[in-house]
Amino acid sequence: MTALNRSWGNLTAFGKVILPLLLVVLVVLPVLAVLFLMFVGPWLMDVLNSNLGIVRFVVAIGGVLLFSIPAAFIIIYMELKVIAYMNLRVGPNRVGPGGAAHSLVAGLKVLTKEDFTPSSADVVVFTWAPVLVFLTCVMTFLVIPFGPGLVGQDMNIGVLYLFAVGGMTVVGLLLAGWSSFNKYSLLGGLRSAAQVVSYEIPLTLSVVGLILLAHTMSLNSIAEQQSGWFTNWFVFRQPLGALIFFIAATAEANRTPFDLTEADSEIVAGFATEYSGMRFGFLFFAEYVNVFIVSALITTFFFGAWNAPIDINAIFAMVGIDPITVSLDPGSLGIGLVLLVLSVPVVMTLVFAAPFYLARRSSPAWQSLVLGFLLFNLVAIGGLFMLTYISWDWVAGLVWFMAKAFAFVYVFVWMRGTFPRVRIDHLMGFAWKWLLPAALLNLFITAAAIVVVKSL
Amino acid sequence: MTASPGTGQHPSMDDPRIMLDGQIGQFETVPPYPPRTERESEFYSLRDGEMFLNMGPQHPATHGVLRVVLKINGEQVVDLDPVLGYLHRGVEKLCENSDYHHIISQVDPLEYVSSLFTEWAPVMAFEQLLDVQVPRRAEYIRVLTGELLRISSHILYQGWIALDLGGLTPILYSFIERDEIVEMLAAITGQRMLFNYFRIGGVNGDLNHEFMSRLGDWMSRAAKQHEANIGLLNENEIFVRRMRDIGRLDRTTALRMATSGPNLRSAGVPYDVRRAHPYSVYPELDFDIPVRGTNGGGDSLDRYLLRMDEVRESLKIIDQCLHNMPDGPVMARLPRLLRPRPGRAWAAVEAPRGLYGTYVISDGTDQPFRMKIHDPSFVNMQLVGLLMKGNLIADTMAVMASLDPVMGGIDK
Repeated sequence: MTALNRSWGNLTAFGKVILPLLLVVLVVLPVLAVLFLMFVGPWLMDVLNSNLGIVRFVVAIGGVLLFSIPAAFIIIYMELKVIAYMNLRVGPNRVGPGGAAHSLVAGLKVLTKEDFTPSSADVVVFTWAPVLVFLTCVMTFLVIPFGPGLVGQDMNIGVLYLFAVGGMTVVGLLLAGWSSFNKYSLLGGLRSAAQVVSYEIPLTLSVVGLILLAHTMSLNSIAEQQSGWFTNWFVFRQPLGALIFFIAATAEANRTPFDLTEADSEIVAGFATEYSGMRFGFLFFAEYVNVFIVSALITTFFFGAWNAPIDINAIFAMVGIDPITVSLDPGSLGIGLVLLVLSVPVVMTLVFAAPFYLARRSSPAWQSLVLGFLLFNLVAIGGLFMLTYISWDWVAGLVWFMAKAFAFVYVFVWMRGTFPRVRIDHLMGFAWKWLLPAALLNLFITAAAIVVVKSL
Repeated sequence: MTASPGTGQHPSMDDPRIMLDGQIGQFETVPPYPPRTERESEFYSLRDGEMFLNMGPQHPATHGVLRVVLKINGEQVVDLDPVLGYLHRGVEKLCENSDYHHIISQVDPLEYVSSLFTEWAPVMAFEQLLDVQVPRRAEYIRVLTGELLRISSHILYQGWIALDLGGLTPILYSFIERDEIVEMLAAITGQRMLFNYFRIGGVNGDLNHEFMSRLGDWMSRAAKQHEANIGLLNENEIFVRRMRDIGRLDRTTALRMATSGPNLRSAGVPYDVRRAHPYSVYPELDFDIPVRGTNGGGDSLDRYLLRMDEVRESLKIIDQCLHNMPDGPVMARLPRLLRPRPGRAWAAVEAPRGLYGTYVISDGTDQPFRMKIHDPSFVNMQLVGLLMKGNLIADTMAVMASLDPVMGGIDK
């Protein structure tokens, strides 16, 4: 009791207030939660169940917002590091292992910087333009199928929604350029308007052929139609469409070699010249979220979305294994399950430790035991991952989707490290003289082929 | 748009009212004085749809503190006005108040990318005044180090031009090569950038072991590395399309504007000071003068490719220098205090950017009475106005980078 008294005496005034409150919260809140679940829970579940669409939408928006920031962080880090190695530099290497937390800290820096507004800027537009840019970017995530069932909203007009929302980004950029009261910003904003509007047309047309083939505009069913072997991917039926989509999407995302809107050697930083602090952060994040979105779209439309390139079920059927019978039913083991769970780590640690112990008898035994335990953990995590991969198809789908999408992100980063920037007239000429006719040709050939195949 | 004379005095910066104005911090592109020439009044009046774009002096692509006022109509550059003088240090006046030995360190930072050439021309002029015979080994060392620096300058030019066109990678590859060269020069001069190495009557020190071993290592891979580096850009369709037919400079214009160096040779005029007015040991060496644009003048791509050709020739010269270098002293015997006879002398060298000349008038004291420095960047800068008109904003970068100006030499 005296010890308790003494420690109470050691507390500051603030601690004396906060500690009882903490206790109250810790005790009262769980009681309240249980009561809430007992009395309000069933009614709430009814309400939620009857409005499943809205619930799904809200959860999806939350998930998308939570997902987009880490995705941007990863891409920023990837760009810094990959371009550094292409330039024979080291790149960020101070914060975190190999500089992995660099973009996180850069994000914190952007948050704490002064949010400067030029005295002659149109304050309202200047403030809300980056929010608009970021929001339209993130809204695109809603229809992207990350895995089987992992889609925010499976709209039947998904493709249309995608281009409608994606096209709105340019409004934000134009507003940002116009409201900054800076000639460089203005030029950047106008350039982005011209560029994005021009490339929107071949971008949309290149997918129309695919829509004719797929008979749907829902991204989820486009993804489902590409299941099985990788030959089912639409890139093999629409190679020209895929190429046009890739080029036009690069221009849509304002990436090198089409990064005229923020050409640093010509117009300083384009529409972002006057921005600082988190408003600049929004523009910056939006750019990298855009890169991920574009990569995800290429994956979804042309490279099999979340489908593995190999049809693993077909292989199982060929070999004669039914994966469902292979998986174990833990309930059938009864009390044996407890023994198994307890014994496996011990036995496997000893098994993995044995070679280390035998190879280096001079070193103490505990070292090899530690090594064996670590190795067992690695194998166990790998095994668990394999189990989840086989049992839940959304895990497999997410892994494949992310792998493919980040492969395309890498291509974008690679292009940034390699290409110079094109000129504005070359850019526009390329869109109207080459990409648009090619997209129309692609559409015509696809339509003609469909008619011919049906009439046969 | 022009300020008319006699509108009353400008408010002073201490005036508290100016803080309430809201206009502070907004700089007018138009100069705050009435137009002085016809050209100025014509340039600073806008027609319908035109606006000024003030590029620089702190702009990433102006290669130093150059300010260019562009008059643009949409993306098109209608007219432009380069504004110089942001880096003016009065080097000529400094030279006229230093004695002859000190001048070498005064002129060093003029053209900081190839500073040995800024020493070479004054040193040659002083040697003419003093009738000094430079030892042959010193001459060979001058040619060797000069050509090394020419390569370094041209390689850096390649990286700059890529950076101005938006390519991030070549500049770092260029800097690797440049770093090798400046490190080996630092082994004999003690400096990486402003060498202060040439002396009246020779050079400051003989070649040493570190220099020779570094040079040998580098020479064994330099030619191959150069071909690999230019392969990055020369085969790139975007780069070639942005450089070809941009800023075409024809032969007569080039001669009329007193252009020199690679910019002149890429316009079809085979004029090189090393051949036209041979100095040092260049008559004994075997090398070609690359010429491009012989039919109808050269564009930005020609100017770029010609410099890349010159790197190959410089490698040839370095090879010959290493083979033919005689033994002997590297400094002539001279008194500590130099008082040349009254008279005048002119000496010119072929710097990486063109003819770099010095004109000295001596009045018999230990300081020159007048020293005039002819800088090729300054002369080539005149072309900017001619070549950029009618192009797009993005082309101004291509043209400016292809002319290769160095602001230290332009503003002096």
